[in-house]
Amino acid sequence: MSKNGSIQSTTLVCYHCGETCRDTDIQAHDKHFCCEGCKMVYEILNEHGMCAYYDLNQNPGQSQKIMIRSDKFAFLEDISIQQSLISFKDEQHTHISFYLPQMHCSSCLWLLEQLYKLKEGVISCKVNFERKEADIVFDHRLMSLRQLAELLTGIGYEPYISYHDLGKKKPVADRKKIFRLGVAGFCFANIMLMSFPEYLGIDDREGQLLIFFRYLNLVLSLPVFFYSAGEFYSSAWTALKQKFLNIDAPIVLAIWVTFARSLYEVFTGTGSGYFDSMTGIVFFMLAGRVLQDRTHRQLNFDRDYTSYFPVAVTRIKDELSSTVTLPDICLNDTLLIHHQELIPADGIITRGRALIDYSFVTGETLPVAKEMGEIVYAGGKQVGGNIEVLVIKEVAQSYLTRLWNKDVFKNGANNENSFVHGLSRWFTWVVFAVAIAAGAYWFWQDESRSWNAITAVLIIACPCALLLSNTFTNGNILRILSRNHFYLRHATVIEKLADIDTIVFDKTGTLTAGTEMEVVYDGKPITPQIRKKIATLAAQSTHPLSKGIAAWAGQPLKDPFLAFEEFPGKGIEGMVDGDLIALGSALFITGRTQNDEASVVYLSVEGKLLGRFRFRNHYRQSVPMLLRQLQERFYVAVVSGDNDGELPYLRKLLGLRSELYFNQQPEDKLEVLKSMQQEGKKVMMIGDGLNDSGALKQADVGVAITDNSNNFTPASDAIIEAGSLPQLYQFIRLCRFNRTIVMAAFVISILYNITGLFFAVQGTLSPMIAAILMPCSSISILLITFGLSNLASRKLKLA
Amino acid sequence: MQSEQFYYDNKTVKLFAYATILWGVVGMLVGLLAAIQIYLPAANFNLPITTFGRVRPLHTNAVIFAFVGNGIFMGVYYSLQRLCKARTFSDTLSKIHFWGWQLIIVAAALTLLAGYTTGKEYAELEWPIDIAITLIWVVFGINMFGTILKRRESHLYVAIWFYIATWVTVAMLHIVNSFEIPVTFLKSYSWYAGVQDALVQWWYGHNAVAFFLTTPYLGIMYYFLPKAANRPVYSYRLSIIHFWALIFIYIWAGPHHLLYTALPDWAQSLGVVFSVMLIAPSWGGMLNGLFTLRGAWDKVREDPILKFMVVAITCYGMATFEGPLLSLKNVNAISHFTDWTIAHVHVGALGWNGFLTFGILYWIIPKIFNTPLYSTKLASTHFWIGTIGIVLYAIPMYWAGFTQAMMWKQFTEDGTLKFQFLETVTHIIPLYVARSIGGLLYLVGVFIMVYNIVKTVKAGKLVANEAAEAPPLPAKIVTHGKQYWHRWIEARPIQMLVLSLVAVAIGGILEIVPTFLVKSNVPTIAAVKPYTPLELHGRDIYVREGCYTCHSQMIRPFRDEVARYGEYSKAGEFVYDHPFQWGSKRTGPDLARIGGKYPDSWHYNHMLEPQSMSPGSIMPSYPWLLDDAIDTATTAARIRAMQTLGVPYEKGYDQIANKELMAQAEKISKNLKADKIETAPNKEIIAMIAYLQRIGVDIKGSQPVTAKQ
Amino acid sequence: MSVIILLLIASISVAGLFLGAFIWSVKTGQYDDEESPSVRMLFDQHPNKK
Repeated sequence: MSKNGSIQSTTLVCYHCGETCRDTDIQAHDKHFCCEGCKMVYEILNEHGMCAYYDLNQNPGQSQKIMIRSDKFAFLEDISIQQSLISFKDEQHTHISFYLPQMHCSSCLWLLEQLYKLKEGVISCKVNFERKEADIVFDHRLMSLRQLAELLTGIGYEPYISYHDLGKKKPVADRKKIFRLGVAGFCFANIMLMSFPEYLGIDDREGQLLIFFRYLNLVLSLPVFFYSAGEFYSSAWTALKQKFLNIDAPIVLAIWVTFARSLYEVFTGTGSGYFDSMTGIVFFMLAGRVLQDRTHRQLNFDRDYTSYFPVAVTRIKDELSSTVTLPDICLNDTLLIHHQELIPADGIITRGRALIDYSFVTGETLPVAKEMGEIVYAGGKQVGGNIEVLVIKEVAQSYLTRLWNKDVFKNGANNENSFVHGLSRWFTWVVFAVAIAAGAYWFWQDESRSWNAITAVLIIACPCALLLSNTFTNGNILRILSRNHFYLRHATVIEKLADIDTIVFDKTGTLTAGTEMEVVYDGKPITPQIRKKIATLAAQSTHPLSKGIAAWAGQPLKDPFLAFEEFPGKGIEGMVDGDLIALGSALFITGRTQNDEASVVYLSVEGKLLGRFRFRNHYRQSVPMLLRQLQERFYVAVVSGDNDGELPYLRKLLGLRSELYFNQQPEDKLEVLKSMQQEGKKVMMIGDGLNDSGALKQADVGVAITDNSNNFTPASDAIIEAGSLPQLYQFIRLCRFNRTIVMAAFVISILYNITGLFFAVQGTLSPMIAAILMPCSSISILLITFGLSNLASRKLKLA
Repeated sequence: MQSEQFYYDNKTVKLFAYATILWGVVGMLVGLLAAIQIYLPAANFNLPITTFGRVRPLHTNAVIFAFVGNGIFMGVYYSLQRLCKARTFSDTLSKIHFWGWQLIIVAAALTLLAGYTTGKEYAELEWPIDIAITLIWVVFGINMFGTILKRRESHLYVAIWFYIATWVTVAMLHIVNSFEIPVTFLKSYSWYAGVQDALVQWWYGHNAVAFFLTTPYLGIMYYFLPKAANRPVYSYRLSIIHFWALIFIYIWAGPHHLLYTALPDWAQSLGVVFSVMLIAPSWGGMLNGLFTLRGAWDKVREDPILKFMVVAITCYGMATFEGPLLSLKNVNAISHFTDWTIAHVHVGALGWNGFLTFGILYWIIPKIFNTPLYSTKLASTHFWIGTIGIVLYAIPMYWAGFTQAMMWKQFTEDGTLKFQFLETVTHIIPLYVARSIGGLLYLVGVFIMVYNIVKTVKAGKLVANEAAEAPPLPAKIVTHGKQYWHRWIEARPIQMLVLSLVAVAIGGILEIVPTFLVKSNVPTIAAVKPYTPLELHGRDIYVREGCYTCHSQMIRPFRDEVARYGEYSKAGEFVYDHPFQWGSKRTGPDLARIGGKYPDSWHYNHMLEPQSMSPGSIMPSYPWLLDDAIDTATTAARIRAMQTLGVPYEKGYDQIANKELMAQAEKISKNLKADKIETAPNKEIIAMIAYLQRIGVDIKGSQPVTAKQ
Repeated sequence: MSVIILLLIASISVAGLFLGAFIWSVKTGQYDDEESPSVRMLFDQHPNKK
């Protein structure tokens, strides 16, 4: 597990988080750190003698480069906020569960569960790895909720608390299916056991034993009939109420008929009934359902904007700042928006210079500078210093919120449109026909047997096989997909995926990796010395372009002699060790406006133009390949909120027949998809930000892309990890296999049914035969579905 | 700091560890002795107490209940404390548990050697010890559940579930199978008769294997394997499924030990089906264990502890695959009664239980003595010698098994049996020798371990109370006011388990009474009569000398068996057999139809010196039967006991029993005199002869001999 | 084979017992997190030893 060594290796890696250290002088106990944050965490742990944290796994920490501002959790002082966050509180103890996105390895678990060692007042901390949650009990007389949050932040596990958490209690996991399964399994096993004497013939001398067994079986079958099978009753009923005959209806019928006839047989002493088959099939079908419904607990498929908004912000009233929860923000409040904070409501800037990153809302790559008096919209993130904003629309009325509350975001997906229902309906009618025919025939031949025949047919020919093959295949395909980091929200998505003929991509964050950009310099060569100086100067500005250049230029000078001035919206100019260096727009540097695409920064030294920096989006490596591959089989389009700076490149990639849309507002994206669908296209939308959420909802299949599944993704039908994007086509093909497999399994099981029918129509279906057919068909279905789907995934070279 | 400080009790762990080693050595030595006696009957030193029939039960009991038993307790007492983050419930109970269990073992050893046995395999111990076992088991239970109750970790790790299952089920099995009616202080008769006794016995017998040799060790594996490899188990979900699947199925596999016997067909097939189903969960467990080490094989290469565990788990896999195989009727037809069974159980015992125990010992001792293991090299040596030992043991036994079965079933062209039974025995003696060598090697390995551990213990110092700390469990939160009627049950799962077990026990007892009031509906055969007092004594001697360890009394409906022994056995023949004596191994020939086959004198001489009657026989001689007198003082008691069990002796028969006994004895001694053999009629040999001459005669010729093929 | 009834009763009650235990364990969320326990058991916490 814990391998040491690379710490001593030539490139310095941070002892805490394992990132390479830019500068070498952040150290403690001759261990190097990439940033003060990491160093601090180490020191805290060291001071409490808990450095075993570092022995369990190598560099287990997460980078602490982004400093968290000290008063970030001030809002936790607010009682009403506390009320809505904590799960339980008595006179001394408070229970709360935090979502800690940073949690990732056994060291995390080890450290967090010993939180009590780090601070007086923490009583216990229990980690739930799957949900990345920690249930913490602390003594609120000794420490406050805020202190707790800060403690966690201090050791590198910043709790993520969002507007979404307000008031909303965690839904209690629905375990009904599991119970039903357990009960069914128990009864089935024992009934099968008690049926053996029947199967193998029992001595007449042991007659009373036989009776005993039969009644025991009857008793054991009750919980299955009344409890376990309830699963199917309810779903069949709800469907019927919508005038829809789903697959569960005929199944329920079969169950009832079986049960009724079994009761009759046992009470009249004419036979042992079919309790074993009935409980068995219920058990198998439930197992299938459970398998299929195993959701990915760690993922959240329906985040709305509230998951992105902070719980509270700072409000400034007559020079006093106080925290206020979002709902309480009202018109004409003045809000203090900190660096890196999200703007919760539309407003006008009243102080400070805003540099707002809308990439999340609109998809624009570059932050836009806003001056005092300009309007800023909710959802934008302030990235340059603090600003004050005068609220002109309450949160509920704000741009983003309204966008979200459009109806399209509400319509719940209808899961009843699976092809199996149609199939089962058709199947059911056939069965009825056979049953009646058989019944009629025997009615003339030998009346006594006609009833027997009818019931037998109904028993044998329930479409449970179909249900089984469907659920098991779905379940397994879901498993395969998630093994490959493609997570579907629900089994029904598989079929939707199979029908896709159009794929629409968002650009920023989907085709391009995040908002990072490539810096391309062209112009006269730059001496290393000058390069250093450029770095030094660029480092002074918070403007993303300057940041980009700084990163490009590398190591800045150590303690340079420096004097500079930044001209908002124009550029930055300064003396660096005696050289006058300027970076900025064409106008600012050359005095003339240049009409070049998107974003360019000009460089001059001593007033002489040296060259220019171009900024290009950084596409994921896999993208060109992928697009080409998809092009051959799908209608591909790109819908971006960004400017058309990338148009030429994308044209080159996608050719002429594909549509490219730029400067698309969220609604526009939605409309684009709508129109496509009106043309009868089945559209898959792949996007990342909130700006895509409308489209994701509108699409037949909305896929949210993320760089790791713990990052936030807007509501969607599926989540794909960026790394798996190249396999997208294989995934779709696997989903297309789904139907084939189901059919194959179904056909096989039909054979069993026919065998059974053969006996049934003659009215000579013995429990023995039923009992053999049932597990045989079920098991073989199981094998076929698993076998084929795994085969398919291997063929597609999926993990 | 609110976290609670507490101490793990390592003393008890140490004691159980020592006991494990001690009894391991003893049990295996005895085993070796028994193995040697098979080809060297003289190795019984002509002493009753060291004769195979008494040594073998001692061996099985010692290794199962003393070696593995203490091993279980060692593992449980170590892991449970740590999994619950709490000290064992009560040190006093721990003491009682430990010393009580050792006392039981000693008592068992003494009584078994002295010939006090119920004659039911793996349940040979007599009623006072049975009661003692029950009490100590309850003590263990209280200690275990108590610890679980005061745990500081809300989640019950899967290992704990295996422990709970072990406790509950073993308790039930032991109680149900041990219903017996005392005759004297150390003698009792099984409550059940014949077929029913057989069914209960093997229902117990199999589940004893399941829940004493398997589930607790699986639990232990799920704790110590990850610990030793320092990596989490491959799939925790799988382990959970593994547990629940195993629990719901295992209980039913028992009857497969009685295939082709007089047990009703459906009961037999039931055993088969469930045994076969068992493969799934068992292999689930095995794979889970092995996959835990995937990516760590480099570790396995240098760490003997992991080596031991890997082989253990592999053996578990082999045994659990072979088991269901053996339970298939047609396979069983060959394997049953042969040495194949012996091979099978020893793969499990030596490989799975033995090696896992060694691995754990090597891991625990340094831990609790806070010092590195004295020599890893020696441990590796132990591993290799042990492994070779297992191979040398198993292969010859499988071979012997096949050979035996094949020879038994061979006919000549003219339809007569090809081999005398004796030939089939003498033929495989070399294999028996090889087997004992394998056993010896295995034992040598154990001695190396003992040395290694003694050295380690000397080097370190026991951390009797290991300091630990953990935050207390947060008080139960009443989530969303909804109060379930069973809320309090949820709060007290463990009491519930205990209570319901008690309920089960009571229910069982209430259930059992009527079943014996109603006339048992086993097909009774008019011709079958109760044993005479003399025969009854003879039978008790037969049981005492453990004849059932080598001789079966159950002729299966196969052509060869019918040809060799006679009419196949019917359920009705055994209605008065308390306990049944079907046996499970034919080192010697079946005796179900021995009655009347030879003259009394033959038996007399054969008992005195078997080789004189059948040259090359490996049966030990029983000279003491000629000297010791029949214990007529207890005749009345025995008869009365039988009457209570529903054996139809007429009222007051117990008074005249001894008279009739002497009368019959006189007759036999006259017969012997006719063959110039002088014996007083009150000698045990007379009773023995009487019984042997009686076995299976009741229905002889009562219907034509028919054989199924 | 009246004894089979005894065995049945005993076995089924035990099985029922475990069914109860199963339901309890699911209900009380014993299996809500099927990952942490296997990791947690690897750590034995000792009072601050360096």
